[in-house]
Amino acid sequence: MMIAQSLPVARRYGIAVVTVALFLGLAATTDGFLSQANFRNILDQQSALLIAASFATITMISGGFDISAASVYVVSPLFALQVENSTGNAALAVAVGVAVGLAVGVGNGLVVTVLKVNSFIATLATSFMVFGAGFLVSDRSVLRASTDAWPSIARTRWWGITTGAWLAAAVVAVAWILLSRTRFGRHVYAVGGNAEAARLAGVPVARVKTICFALAGASAGLAGVVSSSRSLSALPSDDFSFVFGVIAAVVVGGTSIAGGEGAVWRTIAGAFFIALMINGFNLHQIDPIWQRVIQGAVILAAVSIDAWSQRRAL
Amino acid sequence: MTRAEALVGVRNVSKRFGATRALKDVTVDFEAGRVHALVGENGAGKSTLCGVVLGVHAPDSGELLLRGSPMRLDSPAQGAGHGLVGVAQELSLLPAMSVVDNVVLGSEKRRGPFVDQRANRRRVEALMAEHGLETPLEARAGSLSVADQQKVEILRALGRESRLVVLDEPTARLAGHEAEDLHRTVRGLAERGVAVVYVSHFLNEVLSVADTVTVMRDGRIVRTASADAETQESLVEGMTGRHIGEIFPPKPPAPVTDAEVVLRVSGLCSADGDFSDVSFEIRAGEILGLAGLVGAGRSELVHAVYGAGRVASGSVELGGRRLAGDVAEALAAGVGLIPESRRDQGLVGRRAVLDNTTLPHLRSFAGWAGIRGTAERQSAEKACRDVGVRTASLQQPVQSLSGGNQQKVLFARAVLGELRLLLADEPTRGVDVGSKQAIYEALNEMARAGCAVLLVSSELEEVIGTCHRVLVMRNGRIVGHYEDADMTAANLLAASFGTHDAAAEAGGAAGGVEAGDAAGADEAGAGGVGGVVGGVAAAGAGAAGGVEAGDAAAAAEPGAGGVAGGVGSGGADGADEPGAGVAGGVGVEVDGPGAGSANSAGGAATAAGAGAGVAGGVGVEVDGPGAAAGAVEVSSP
Repeated sequence: MMIAQSLPVARRYGIAVVTVALFLGLAATTDGFLSQANFRNILDQQSALLIAASFATITMISGGFDISAASVYVVSPLFALQVENSTGNAALAVAVGVAVGLAVGVGNGLVVTVLKVNSFIATLATSFMVFGAGFLVSDRSVLRASTDAWPSIARTRWWGITTGAWLAAAVVAVAWILLSRTRFGRHVYAVGGNAEAARLAGVPVARVKTICFALAGASAGLAGVVSSSRSLSALPSDDFSFVFGVIAAVVVGGTSIAGGEGAVWRTIAGAFFIALMINGFNLHQIDPIWQRVIQGAVILAAVSIDAWSQRRAL
Repeated sequence: MTRAEALVGVRNVSKRFGATRALKDVTVDFEAGRVHALVGENGAGKSTLCGVVLGVHAPDSGELLLRGSPMRLDSPAQGAGHGLVGVAQELSLLPAMSVVDNVVLGSEKRRGPFVDQRANRRRVEALMAEHGLETPLEARAGSLSVADQQKVEILRALGRESRLVVLDEPTARLAGHEAEDLHRTVRGLAERGVAVVYVSHFLNEVLSVADTVTVMRDGRIVRTASADAETQESLVEGMTGRHIGEIFPPKPPAPVTDAEVVLRVSGLCSADGDFSDVSFEIRAGEILGLAGLVGAGRSELVHAVYGAGRVASGSVELGGRRLAGDVAEALAAGVGLIPESRRDQGLVGRRAVLDNTTLPHLRSFAGWAGIRGTAERQSAEKACRDVGVRTASLQQPVQSLSGGNQQKVLFARAVLGELRLLLADEPTRGVDVGSKQAIYEALNEMARAGCAVLLVSSELEEVIGTCHRVLVMRNGRIVGHYEDADMTAANLLAASFGTHDAAAEAGGAAGGVEAGDAAGADEAGAGGVGGVVGGVAAAGAGAAGGVEAGDAAAAAEPGAGGVAGGVGSGGADGADEPGAGVAGGVGVEVDGPGAGSANSAGGAATAAGAGAGVAGGVGVEVDGPGAAAGAVEVSSP
């Protein structure tokens, strides 16, 4: 019993422990790591990913797998910038960008719950549609911001930290509270852990799932807006890489792909683990090609250790 | 019967998991050619002992002997190498693969790099013929009945030239006649010289199928004795240290006739054809039983009342207000459900006890910043304490609790809702005697508090011991309604199997029952049950005689069987499972497989089991799959 009660603590917070260890290791060995500028930079770079990943975590806990985040991330700023260019109203443009994501998310949710299509397949299909819409709305060209308000969305500094990072912190806080403190959060865990038991306990299973996809879509839309505000432009593409970063953060954090288990704090830890690792590579000037190989190996190791510890924890 | 020889010996074995001493100085022999049952409450160490024998758990001290010489097992693969294999309680078949593929899985015959389908098929056919286990070869395993899946699982074990087979709760999910099939399979294994270790909570089953019974309690062996020397009472006493009569607490007083009608179901028909034209009422403070065979439509009916099933017509009224058929609405109106399968339908296994207890009631803990944690925890704590959930903390994942405690968490959930109607679907399945008792107390407590209770149960003893009234369902319809003295195992069984009309016609025998019942004493009661059973069989045979002259001669014998049958099922003690009760009459008719063999009369009667009852049924009503099974059964011994 002693063992059974003390070890799980280390196991439960394993990813946080590893991330802190990595931080300390880099701080001790790497020049230039322990500087305010470096941390600000990391925070700013992670803002878009954190915004999308915190709600992707909730979707994954509910048993859904949403890969349309990449397409929404690419396309929502295209819609937003078209609005910004024609109206000059940045607030309206942000709203449109988020609304595009919300609409895609609701669509995903309905396809998954009403048509009962596997969520990976459903969101893969919608991804192509959304990527295509991006090319249509932008006429296959780069869109640039026309107002000063657009870059100020994510690039304004409050106490030295960019508004993009503040925005990410706010979104993370909302997702965290939603998942851990509210009825909706409990329902998400129940739906992902045992949908039939949830249904018989009066949980509106289809509604919960749909809301998860809708929120994930909206957050991916906001992530796209933040990213384009940082870069002052948006480019149509069919690049899936954003969602792989999101999923890597969620999974390295220890949220179960099978659903029913996980937490927002885990995703934050996972995201920073990966970010610190890349930062360390860069500061040590490791060849980017080798960075990828090592990064993949480290992710694999992290996930294996997590799977092993969770199995043992039973 | 072959002379007993110790195939595997367990000597002074102890095993500890953390601080839990699962086995303490256990010494027992498992003999070739014998069925050796292990009984005990959950947590008594049965599964651990099986695990030690199979190589799943390495003992901390003590040793294992194989035919008298020391043996070391470090893995289940080593155990399998010695021919020691287990059939798990939860089936582990691949549902999308064929029966042949499942049986040979892991030991496929190959020609070069390719699987040789024909050779595998021949091998499986040979196995089936050798052991008399018939299942369709090419069918997908997932499409078979649970009993057939169990056979496939056993075939897989036999395919590895097993010398010892461990069956852990093999009949927990089987209907009565399916369990009978399995028992014959088990006996067949033993006759071929295999040592069978048989773990079961069904004591009548243990007594009928086993040669030797070992009773365990708290990791120790209480005793090992011949099954002939044990009765259900003696086993329960050994397992719990308590007497069987104490299992059922006194029923709460029956509701007065003008008590409020809490639930009124009128003309309810399923949209999927699972039940039709069902009408009944439950009053405040009343416990209504719903008996019948597995597959009679009971769970589907309960789900429909709860708003979780599809209804074509009819109405469900709670306290005079019509429910629209929506779970959230039913919950809000004060209806609670303990579903049939706590793992699949009840609990979210990896979540905490707390989350599982409060899941349907979160609205009542809503505050401005989400759930009010303290209020939620206090309510859950109280509810868990009220129903006796034993857990280290409310944060414990619910799947780490024992089966009985998991079930109690579902009761805690129900208690928390301030229920007006509780729907409990097989609430004591797979839980130990101690937990059962706690669950009966919880049911009574709710009834006393004015809640209406609908109890679905396949254990007749349980229905009779806890309910004020009982409805019997068969083929989706309510076919019987019993209360007071009519609430006997024989009546319920006859109605469940559809031989009820015959019982009514067999006036004399039915009279016998009432006399037996009125006398009330254990012995007389048992005799009464036997009497009716005989009556049923007699009437069945009589009717058969009417239809087919050829059977007329047989009719006389079952009649006589009625009397002897009384003794037979008396031994098995009160038909708490379909097979057992109906047994007696025909057991004798078929020329006492029972009376003859090494088993006690009681055991044998049960073995003849469902066949008998169903045989009676054949005569009266030529319907149902049971009829065919019955015919086979009667001729086979």
